[in-house]
Amino acid sequence: MKKILLSFGMLAVAAFSSAQQDATREVLERLALAARAEQAGLLEELAALGDPYIKDFVGAWRTGEVFSYEVSEDETIALRRVSERYIRVATGESFEVADEEDERLKKIRPSRKLRRALKTITDTIDLSSPDAKTRIEAALKLGLSQNTDYLEVLRKKLEIEEDAKVRLKLEEAINISLLANAPDDAALSAAIERLGELKSLPARDGIAGIQDRAAEAGDEALVETCASAIEKIDAARRTIERWGNLVRGLSTGSVLLIVAFGLAITFGLMGIINMAHGEFIAIGGYTCFVVQNLFADAFGVQSAAYQWFFWTSLPVAFLVAGAVGFGLEKGMFRFLYKRPLESLLATWGLSMIMQQLFRLKFGAANVQVNTPDALIGSLEVGGVALSYTRIFVIAFAGVVVLMTWILLSKTNLGLYIRSVMQNRNMASSLGIPVSRVNSLTFAFGCGLAALAGAALSQIGNVGPTMGQAYIVDSFMVVVVGGVGNLLGAGLSALGIGTVDQFLQPYWGPVMGKIIVYFAIILFLQWKPGGLFPTKSRSMDD
Amino acid sequence: MKFLTKLTLGAACAASLFSACLKAEETVKVGVLHSLSGTMAISETSLRDILLFTFDEINASGGVMGKMIEPVVVDGASDWPTFAEKAEQLLAQDEVAVTFGCWTSVSRKFVLPVYEKYNGLLFYPVQYEGEEMSPNIFYTAEAVNQQAIPAVDYLLEEGYKKFYLIGTDYVYPQTTNLVLFEYLQSKGIPIENIGGGLRRDANGEVISAGKYTPFSHTDYQQIVAEIKAFAASGDAAVINTINGDSNVSFFKEIAASGLTADDCPIVSYSLSEDEFRSLPTKDLVGHLGCWTYFMSLDTPANKKFVANFQEWLKTAPSGVQREGRVTCSPMVLSYNGVYLWKAAVEKAGTFDPPAVIEALKSGISFDGPGGTVTTQENHHLTKNVYIGETLEDGQFEVLESFENVYGEPFLKGTFLKQ
Repeated sequence: MKKILLSFGMLAVAAFSSAQQDATREVLERLALAARAEQAGLLEELAALGDPYIKDFVGAWRTGEVFSYEVSEDETIALRRVSERYIRVATGESFEVADEEDERLKKIRPSRKLRRALKTITDTIDLSSPDAKTRIEAALKLGLSQNTDYLEVLRKKLEIEEDAKVRLKLEEAINISLLANAPDDAALSAAIERLGELKSLPARDGIAGIQDRAAEAGDEALVETCASAIEKIDAARRTIERWGNLVRGLSTGSVLLIVAFGLAITFGLMGIINMAHGEFIAIGGYTCFVVQNLFADAFGVQSAAYQWFFWTSLPVAFLVAGAVGFGLEKGMFRFLYKRPLESLLATWGLSMIMQQLFRLKFGAANVQVNTPDALIGSLEVGGVALSYTRIFVIAFAGVVVLMTWILLSKTNLGLYIRSVMQNRNMASSLGIPVSRVNSLTFAFGCGLAALAGAALSQIGNVGPTMGQAYIVDSFMVVVVGGVGNLLGAGLSALGIGTVDQFLQPYWGPVMGKIIVYFAIILFLQWKPGGLFPTKSRSMDD
Repeated sequence: MKFLTKLTLGAACAASLFSACLKAEETVKVGVLHSLSGTMAISETSLRDILLFTFDEINASGGVMGKMIEPVVVDGASDWPTFAEKAEQLLAQDEVAVTFGCWTSVSRKFVLPVYEKYNGLLFYPVQYEGEEMSPNIFYTAEAVNQQAIPAVDYLLEEGYKKFYLIGTDYVYPQTTNLVLFEYLQSKGIPIENIGGGLRRDANGEVISAGKYTPFSHTDYQQIVAEIKAFAASGDAAVINTINGDSNVSFFKEIAASGLTADDCPIVSYSLSEDEFRSLPTKDLVGHLGCWTYFMSLDTPANKKFVANFQEWLKTAPSGVQREGRVTCSPMVLSYNGVYLWKAAVEKAGTFDPPAVIEALKSGISFDGPGGTVTTQENHHLTKNVYIGETLEDGQFEVLESFENVYGEPFLKGTFLKQ
């Protein structure tokens, strides 16, 4: 996408007369080297030029690719670094810098103030961008600046704009600008009314301000207009929030589901109280980190192959944690099946040992797992935004549940697992290799935990204690859902997530969580077996 | 690891006993009370390291009044009663002349009665909420008016009109935000432009301003959606007092939502260069920080300090992480504390804490890496304050500096009455 934009930019640059571009470059060099006092004048010149090259340059300036270079005592020039080479800003000709460490070469950055001023200029340029989304954002920014100069620009754009969505945004921007620049009261009222119809959230503050002033001045009619517009905006916002809560609830629920699903197998089906469940989640996170570094070493961070590190690390995480789980089941857990109390203590100890191993290997600080380009950004539908990483987690949770269901109900291994879980001795006497099935089931549960950790590396931190944040929630989901019931775990995760998100706006995250816990206690008083109590024989032991 | 730590501690104790026999009169015991295990270890271990470095530096130049500093390092283990226990051990058993320690305000609150009981001396180095002035504690830390308020001043000057307050739910963010809530109003910001929500008691008095999340909170979707709506009309900034790991989730959510530092800058009070080591810095680029020291300060004193610390790390005792180390404000304030104590001891002519405290109160200056600091009558420091913008490499670029800001711990209720 960036490449396409860039090439469009190039085309646009080429279309401009070279004379104008030279003028732009020359002003940019002066601006880069200018003292604060001179900047205002130069900015005006730039705004008048409106060359797309400005945007390109400002981006480079922002990311530290622009330098000043002292040619002699009374001549300093500005250089721009483009792929390891330096070009003179004013002329676009390449310039030889013998030594990167040269004292005369200094990185320069625009101040925040200058950047904000430049932003309005680049926003004006963006109004002509081929990308509708860019045009929408630029229009809104210019409207919010409430500068009369841009009002004219916006009106002209509205006349020629064809995209319906962009037209609406332009109209919104013009009306927001009019809130401060309306020629008379009638125009102001019209603007306010229109903004109410457009349900413009960005305009709400401005309208509220006008309402206050009108109330002071005793202008009843205007107060009335403002109030009805605000009412419309608020109503629209409430609808958006309700939908937003539902979507966010689904997302929070998916996170809970994915972290609890492994536990629903090891604790729910097998009955092992595994306090080290969180550390298997951490194994997943660290596997992503290791795979990422291997990819970076093998292909380089810039390469297209590097983008695949995350997708590769998913199955790797599953296998690594599965293997660790398999080994631990053979060496430790199988001695604990009939001793829940010892298993509680032993797995707690195991959890501490594993945390310390992470610390020794990777350090106490968190490690960074990058987000693949495909998952950067967010999707906005009807005012509700959800990041791609969150959408990925929701989809991933769905896939994990589906695969588990297929494994348990459609394969031979699944049949063995269910029979062993229902009655170990009976299954054994029928010739099912119980100890093997136990090991595989436990390994599968651990693998699922690691998948959760891999997915969580995209929305949270990866560190030695990352699993601790989820262990309580995991047990909660499994117990509420009904121990031994995977469908129950799924429903309880989504339910808890949604309730949590609906409570948060009213009670805040702290009280919200307390209320959820309290509700769960009451629920378990009423239904001690959870949503779907299991009537398995293993429970009667 | 714990076993190892104990072993090394044991060995260190044995060694110190042995050396104590050899040169009984030539050393002075100094306590180091930080969490070397548990959640806070990540931040506090750096402070232990910088203290050991400072002691070595002072010992190499002749010690304090001819006596070598002998550190007694104890582990508060991120557990507040343990802090009190270890403080008692330092004062009653080891009879240290001074202690450097604590990070969280709650650990300070736990050791405070112990220091008052034994009439000891504690140097506290981490930005805090104020509203406290123990006769036995010296606060080298940033007071609210040396961090939170200059940062808000800067944002107001930049033309921001709406402020969203968010923090972790404990004493430092709650108190700081209450002070800021009053301060913003005194600057003419209407209550509806201060986001995050308010809680009032039965009399309608505001008892909590801003949005709070528990420690290690990971789900910031709702809050980021709220911030996005809050910032929709522009000119909004976020004041962030979230502590620790939660910042990763918070900044990842912010980055994914498309809010940029140009639209809505976030100024964080608990994130310094040391914390950036475990944060996704690319999501933080352009956001702001405010401290009394930045590693990027371009002064000869700071360059020398950073170089000396890196040099020391090469020969550092085992257990000290050597790679990828940075310096940050709490570390420098610990460093300054040791030198201020040294100067006060030399001025008082004795190691006796009450006399040293009197000397400190009389006003002692030290030219530290972040500029000159001077002790005040009210147990705080006058120091420079810097506002910086985060860069890709996890460093700050200084945007503005305020020179010689007087440390004022008691601010609550002072702005609105004027």
